[in-house]
Amino acid sequence: MDKIPTVCPYCGCGCGLYLCVENDNIIGVSPVRNHPVNNSSLCVKGWNCFEFIQHPDRLRYPLIKEGGSFRQASWDEALKLIAARFSRIKESSGSDSIGIVSSAKCTNEENYLMMKFARAVIGTNNIDHCARLCHSSTVGGLAAAFGSGAMTNSINEIAYARLLFVIGSNTTEQHPMIGMHMLDAVDKGAILIVADPRRTQIAEFAHTHLRHRPGTDVALLNSIMNVMIREGLVDIPFVKRRTENFDSFKDTVMKYPPEVAERITGVSAEDIKKVARVYATEKRSMLFYSMGITQHITGVDNVCACANLAMLTAHIGLPMTGLNPLRGQNNVQGACDMGALPDLYSGYQKVADPKLRKKFEMAWRVKLPSTPGLTLIEMFDSALKNDIQAMYIMGENPVISNPDASHAWDALKSLDFLVVQDTFLSDTAELADIVLPAATFAEKDGTFTNTERRVQKIKAAIKPFGESKPDWEIICALSREMVYDLNYRATHEIMEEIALLTPIYRGILHHRLDNNYGLQWPCPDVTHPGTPFLHRMKFAKGLGTFMPVTFVPPAEIPDKKFPFILTTGRTYFHYHTGTMCRRTSTLEREYPECLMEINPRDADSLRIKNMDKVRVSSKRGTIIVSAYVTERTPEGIVFIPFHFKEAAVNLLTNPALDPSAKIPEYKVCAVNIEPVK
Amino acid sequence: MRNSLVLDKNYLSYWLRQIRQKMSLIAPIRVGNLGVVLKTVENIHEIELNCPASIPSAKEFLFPQKEDMFRLSEGTVDILRNDTKRLIFGVRSCDISAIALLDRFFGENFVDDYYMSRRVNTIFISIVCNNPEPTCFCLGLGTGPFLKSNFDIQLTDIGDRYIVETYSKKGSDLIKDYYYLFSKPKKSDYETQYEILLSSQASFEKRINLENARQKILIERISDPFWDWIGRRCFECGGCVYECPLCTCFNVLDRVKSEGSGTRFRIWDACMFKGFTKIAGNIWPAEKKGTRIKQWYFHKLLYYPDHFGKFGCVGCGRCTITCPGHIDMATIVYKIDIGDKRRR
Repeated sequence: MDKIPTVCPYCGCGCGLYLCVENDNIIGVSPVRNHPVNNSSLCVKGWNCFEFIQHPDRLRYPLIKEGGSFRQASWDEALKLIAARFSRIKESSGSDSIGIVSSAKCTNEENYLMMKFARAVIGTNNIDHCARLCHSSTVGGLAAAFGSGAMTNSINEIAYARLLFVIGSNTTEQHPMIGMHMLDAVDKGAILIVADPRRTQIAEFAHTHLRHRPGTDVALLNSIMNVMIREGLVDIPFVKRRTENFDSFKDTVMKYPPEVAERITGVSAEDIKKVARVYATEKRSMLFYSMGITQHITGVDNVCACANLAMLTAHIGLPMTGLNPLRGQNNVQGACDMGALPDLYSGYQKVADPKLRKKFEMAWRVKLPSTPGLTLIEMFDSALKNDIQAMYIMGENPVISNPDASHAWDALKSLDFLVVQDTFLSDTAELADIVLPAATFAEKDGTFTNTERRVQKIKAAIKPFGESKPDWEIICALSREMVYDLNYRATHEIMEEIALLTPIYRGILHHRLDNNYGLQWPCPDVTHPGTPFLHRMKFAKGLGTFMPVTFVPPAEIPDKKFPFILTTGRTYFHYHTGTMCRRTSTLEREYPECLMEINPRDADSLRIKNMDKVRVSSKRGTIIVSAYVTERTPEGIVFIPFHFKEAAVNLLTNPALDPSAKIPEYKVCAVNIEPVK
Repeated sequence: MRNSLVLDKNYLSYWLRQIRQKMSLIAPIRVGNLGVVLKTVENIHEIELNCPASIPSAKEFLFPQKEDMFRLSEGTVDILRNDTKRLIFGVRSCDISAIALLDRFFGENFVDDYYMSRRVNTIFISIVCNNPEPTCFCLGLGTGPFLKSNFDIQLTDIGDRYIVETYSKKGSDLIKDYYYLFSKPKKSDYETQYEILLSSQASFEKRINLENARQKILIERISDPFWDWIGRRCFECGGCVYECPLCTCFNVLDRVKSEGSGTRFRIWDACMFKGFTKIAGNIWPAEKKGTRIKQWYFHKLLYYPDHFGKFGCVGCGRCTITCPGHIDMATIVYKIDIGDKRRR
């Protein structure tokens, strides 16, 4: 039996684990001892992350759709056909009529190649991936405030913090190993403040639990800062020395005294004052946030408010402090770092900057497009308008994951040509003209970057299933068909090119990562040990900028016809659209059907009993789910996870977008609920 | 019959290399900075005996997390049993004690062919723990740090040599062919060994008394709020069960490829999951985490002694290391023992 060290393919924690291999079969998993993230533990998904790898549903060979159904094809035939169709569309309607969707599930090397493929081979900046749907507001908001959109501190610092402020994150369920460090901190006497409408597991350990109404985060945070300014809790030397734009920020914040915020958020003024005092006065305060902050039409504003809070109290740029966005996918940080974004090259280098573009043009020996491309949701809108005629989707399932999912379905249906590259025949792949079988994390080499910017090596444990190939090999083969030679013998060669062109990854090379805990970027040279926390002495962009933000209510507010607020998210046992976890027996057994959490008082008034079927409808669609009556969810709010295609909650969600980050408002929409007779 | 010999440390790799010609060799190997794991040895010099006792247990070599049982295709059945001959070198006494109990569980009333086929083809060479870890508590359970019986071969590190004790026939067969490598122990060797065993026993930091906890549970009855208070901290990861060298629950599932063909496999399961006890009619009898945790502790502390006359715990401390909520055997037994029924 061999044991191959690799990284868990589920959430952004990036836990180290071994895959146990016997006769080319993966027969188990065991956690890496003393890993800085998971420290000998794993969550249930990690312990069961191997079962889907050799599932018979895996795609074995390329598929070509003919007359409405798929037939088996050879790699050569499929790639030639794709190359021909892409070239024809590129010639007839221009490069910008092709959209590329990269994947936060794929490695850094693959994301880098995909972005190179889009820009150098196709010639478009229309490349995006699912970070648009989770943390695009972080990337935008923190770039404006600090100059770098990533978790500022490290996971193994958490246990030594004195105060943890967790807002909009169900940490113990969505980032269990980070939740573990948080419980350690609480055991050591740290104060825990949780702001979440739902009473999550982490909230049960909280010393103060603020149950604000969904979508009122700006009001809550502004009034906390209001108290700090009025009570003299601001770190004046820090604000003077290291930040700018304080005065206009102060004017805005003064409009949110706790009494006003109490009316907006439903959190008592006393609690707001209490939180402000303790957050500001504790020396080592860490702030964590996740989807509860970002997935709003005010996503960027929410992120800015968090950044303001950290700067106002100088809880940044030191160990055990900082502003810590928890990234959802195993490599969503890496996919952003690699520039699978319409306006950025790898390492957050702007496409619009002529000097930087010149650098990439020289390295890739091709003219590159200068205007930023379309974002994920905009691509689907353009597809409906026929501006986008072809799409190449790698490892994503937008038919289930995009807001107002029927819109995504219509958009993909209206395309002339769709290529989907995935490990399973997902709902999106079913709409494709050509499906390419990809290898899973256990069948390829590469690197993943976790939420704390730790770049870790993954290693092939077995040969790819059937005829499937690693994504990077597929992209290389396709580019060769399109007469641009992406030629790499192995993934470490791609990493060398990334290091060459990306200052924050300059010192990160595969041989430094082998059988090791990885390196945290920025890592400017090959002897650099990595950076555990950012913004020491100076922000990435020089001075930190206070961004004044005002409260804007959610795009959809409950009314007579749709009286409940629906908020969506994940559950502990499942993950996103369920492609992997719903093929894992233990996980599927633990949470076999979609459950809508509803408060007992609401359930009573609607005459719904536990596990009754209910019909949930919004302006956009209707689904039928079972009701789970629980105090976890407050009155007037219901929660539905988005893993289940048989009850796809994204048929209901509102595709209203944040104006700058273009992130949809998954966390609030108005719905009506009625029992099914 | 216990038999002692002495092996010069310089001869160890030669001996293992000779044995490896007849069977595959599994031993603790260092994987860069990531630590040590038990795996098939490629280079004998990579064997790392100076490793913590709590590396993942040898259970997975006899009862893997996922094991294919048979394959069905077009009316023919392939029974998939693993009968590779293996030597597992460098495991600790707690693991050997656990395997002695697994042998009874999988072989006494109902013989589990899959386990037995792997078991009869496996020989263990265990090594006495000279330096127990802070998480270890095998001493009080009699499952370590060294064994007096029920092992194949046991090594004690006495500096430049090993005392090699054989107990089973399988063990002595492994030495028989290479008698020229071994010599008779001197009196001073026995003395050194005795000193090492004493100092090892003295260096245990944890003194956990499972019997006291058992008595407390039987006589005083632990209240449900205590278990619920523990349950709040449970992450439902199943890690305690997966890591435990004595937990044996599995689920049997079919993976159907197409009609008439597919594979039946079994996969580790855990009583820490609420679906473990799910019954017809969509009823979940153990929906509360506290109930499930109580069941695990009752099984280990009460039901195991009733069945096998021994606790369902060998004191290896792996649950202490793996539990993200720190509600492991040592912590809970200590809480029960000192009467901590706090419910915050």
